[in-house]
Amino acid sequence: MSKRHSILPPAPSGPRPPTHLSPTLTISDSAVLTGTHSITLHGETVIHPRARLDSLAGRLTVGRRCVVHERATIGAVGASGRIVEAAVTVGDYVVVEVGAVIEAGETVVGEGTVVGVGARVGAGAVVGKHCTLTPHSEIAAGEVVPDFTVVYSNGLRRTDKRGVAELKNKGLARQIDVLRRMIPSNPAKFA
Amino acid sequence: MAALTPYTYIQCPCSDSPTLGRPSDASSPTSPEPDEDDRTFDPRAPRSNYSLYPLEYLLYCEDCHQIRCPRCVAEEIVTYYCPNCLFEVPSSNLKSEGNRCTRSCFQCPICIGPLAVTSVETKPDPSLLAAPDNTATPHSGPYALTCSYCNWTSTEVGIKFDKPNGIHAQLAKLRNGGATRMTAKERKERRKDPAFRAAAAAAIGSREQEDLDLETQFANLKMFYQNQLAHPNSADTGLSGLGDLGFSSPTSLSRIMSLYTGGGLQDKKAKSRVGAMREALDPDEGFQLASLDESAAIAQLQAETLDDTASAAQLLDQPPNIGEEHLYGRGRFASELRPIPYLLRTKRSKRCPMCRHIISKPEAKVQTTRFRIRLIAGSYIPSIAIRPLAISSGSSASGPAVPGALLEPLKPAHYLLTFKNPIFEPVKVTLGAPSKTPGRFASKVTVLCPDFEIDANTDVWDEALRETGERDREKERRRRRGEDGNHNNNNNHNQLEVGKIWERGRNWVSIVVEVVPASLALVAGQGPLREDEDVLEIPMFVRVEWEGDAGGDEVGSAPGGDKEVREKRELAYWCVLGLGRIRQ
Repeated sequence: MSKRHSILPPAPSGPRPPTHLSPTLTISDSAVLTGTHSITLHGETVIHPRARLDSLAGRLTVGRRCVVHERATIGAVGASGRIVEAAVTVGDYVVVEVGAVIEAGETVVGEGTVVGVGARVGAGAVVGKHCTLTPHSEIAAGEVVPDFTVVYSNGLRRTDKRGVAELKNKGLARQIDVLRRMIPSNPAKFA
Repeated sequence: MAALTPYTYIQCPCSDSPTLGRPSDASSPTSPEPDEDDRTFDPRAPRSNYSLYPLEYLLYCEDCHQIRCPRCVAEEIVTYYCPNCLFEVPSSNLKSEGNRCTRSCFQCPICIGPLAVTSVETKPDPSLLAAPDNTATPHSGPYALTCSYCNWTSTEVGIKFDKPNGIHAQLAKLRNGGATRMTAKERKERRKDPAFRAAAAAAIGSREQEDLDLETQFANLKMFYQNQLAHPNSADTGLSGLGDLGFSSPTSLSRIMSLYTGGGLQDKKAKSRVGAMREALDPDEGFQLASLDESAAIAQLQAETLDDTASAAQLLDQPPNIGEEHLYGRGRFASELRPIPYLLRTKRSKRCPMCRHIISKPEAKVQTTRFRIRLIAGSYIPSIAIRPLAISSGSSASGPAVPGALLEPLKPAHYLLTFKNPIFEPVKVTLGAPSKTPGRFASKVTVLCPDFEIDANTDVWDEALRETGERDREKERRRRRGEDGNHNNNNNHNQLEVGKIWERGRNWVSIVVEVVPASLALVAGQGPLREDEDVLEIPMFVRVEWEGDAGGDEVGSAPGGDKEVREKRELAYWCVLGLGRIRQ
């Protein structure tokens, strides 16, 4: 099968950011890392093709065993556009699903949180640990979401009382095992 | 202001009750009904809301030759099925088991998402595509219902199941919190048990009364009042002065009870007597003390947050639980919500109310979405499409160039109505529209060509093969358009002429309607502009005539049959053309 080429000119890649990549990282060739500040990706994290990490507004940190899906954007410059010390800090075991956007500006996503398909986390929001943002839910800029919160149905909130954080982490670790075999990793491109 | 796309609504003739079911027979002498015929249909009348439908909503009875709307069809339920598992439920089960799925189909009480049965111990996250767990035995231990959307789980309300199947039966026996509860049937059986009766009698003595479930309470009350009606004199009358009016009067009671039980209690004896009856006094008579002590609920409210209370929508979705004790003080908290068994859905066939012929019948199998019979009106009556017409040559008249643009008041605008004939016979269409639209703001309407004929809906290939080239077709079209001579045709064939068809094709005809929108300036003394009063709506009477087979059944049969058996058919109805909004 021949490789499909886009007829559009390649998107102008921004400045190459200084990166700190873990040796156990799985990062696809076609992921986009751009910006001027440093991008730190910790061990066993998986970055899917065409995921976009933008450190223009400040430093990006992604924890261990995270999965960043296709077309997800971490560090999107929000409405404010100001440059801060730590633009986005993503904890361990975080899943950022397809098309989700995490805006820059001292945004924190806590451990074990799932940012659903097409969800949006505003600049400066602090999402607690083990939260679930269901698809297309939005967290306003500067909002603080407590631990174990489920955001569903156009912004309704409830507390997850399943107590399956450990199980979820185990499941995610297994998923990452599979993904590492599926996604050809090329960290050298970003080093 | 929201843009308005032009629309056509058709009035179902069922709203004029005298014409219901009467096949519009051209041969029978039509009795003159001046009131009926002179009346212009007013699309703004409050009644019209209920009789106007888009063409797609309408069905057509081939025997009565009438349009049938959703209001004037008789529906019959073909199958009951669960929308979740798509299993058909026999109608005999409905009576015994209710109108909800009794398999393992449940909705989340929080977000109404579908619930899945998962093992509590090795619960995999449904949002992850994890490989099956091989560290622990996957199918073991208690099970719970979980919602993959809002992460609700039945363990939150303390419900766990021993088996992963037959959840409905297991749930019926479980109270929120995990304690078992009796089903209504078990309760009934327990009441018959003499040992239990003795214990209950002792309990009454100690003022510790048993809670009745709704079903038992109703049965007890019914029995008590039936006894009271049979022997009203045994009661010590206290409020006899009130006579018929009070709750305790036998006549009003028997009236109320006949509403619920089907009128078996209206015996003459009870009617003739006027007197008061005593009320129920103990649980055997259906008496139930309301628990007015709400301190527990108040304490819980203080301990918990607003998020822990159930919303009105969530409470409404809860199924009624006739095995439950009483309604007082229940269902305030999210912890009291229970999984909702799916409500069953139906497939229905539709019959003509007059001739009882089936006009729509879905496939009985739940999984198929096809219809066995479906006589939609769109394949019998001409469709009307509306398009604004911008005339470049005309200096005075011009329509809105963009569809959905506002109409300028007092400026003539032109609209193109395209009638498309779906049947295989040529039809003759006669239009009638009032020169002024009804309502407070009367716009002027002129249908330039109210009388025309549409060719049959013949095979597309016939047309294509008959006309060999584009030039021939264009010539043909011109010839058709200029019906009484072709002078003046070459200079400007986009000229508006009264009595001329604008354009015609294989099975369609376009005509022009000129409107002069009214000014919406309010005269002193008039009320403010009402909702949608700025929409220009034209009532139009459409009369369609064609020659069909006399057999009556096959309107859509091939032409060229015996000339003797062909008969003239006529269909007439009102429709409403919504053209656009007038600028205020």
